[in-house]
Amino acid sequence: MSLDARVGIVLVSHSAELAEGAAALAAQISGGTVAIIPAGGTEEGQLGTSAAKVQRALKLADSGAGVVILPDLGSAVLTVRALLSEAGDLPTPVELADAPFVEGVVAATVAAAAGADMKAVLAAAEEARHARKL
Amino acid sequence: MPANYEQAITLTGDLHARPAGALAVAAARFSSAVSLTVGTSRADAKSVLGVMGLGATSGQHITVAAEGPDAEEAVAAIVTILTQATRVGA
Repeated sequence: MSLDARVGIVLVSHSAELAEGAAALAAQISGGTVAIIPAGGTEEGQLGTSAAKVQRALKLADSGAGVVILPDLGSAVLTVRALLSEAGDLPTPVELADAPFVEGVVAATVAAAAGADMKAVLAAAEEARHARKL
Repeated sequence: MPANYEQAITLTGDLHARPAGALAVAAARFSSAVSLTVGTSRADAKSVLGVMGLGATSGQHITVAAEGPDAEEAVAAIVTILTQATRVGA
């Protein structure tokens, strides 16, 4: 792991626009120093998830410190789990976060931007479910 | 040596998402615990969602408090970000 390596983030959404929008928002809030790669929709541009897109995103997000994956809804979890159990050549470590999509990516990305390690970035994402808006 | 340090300022702009992010990234660089208090609401400055959840707006008084070995430096850094990032037009 290089000195500058940051934990990367992959957003897996059923919607390409949702993944891209959440990535843009999190990038702006966190200052743009973390790789946040959207993997939304199917290869044909429809609503759905694509293991191939997720696999490409994982490669792009990996700078040596590991990658945290945030799924939007439950069935995106199935795609990611199948990929993680079957595919070789994945970043290490790679973890799937049980977290709200928007709050989770914002919290995870800010933690990664501050240099947090894999465990702390994952914890930041998962603690996001307890954050109150009001 | 561990220390407590705090400083209050009046916000000149609303505490939106982008300054909240910059603040949380900066706070995380210090080993001291850093908190923000607005009225009766208190947030961990290292939690971007907590900082945004304060809903702090222009004209409100915000107290930055830190406890730990680098408390004074942490408070100074956070006050600088609050002053600059919430300036109108920033």
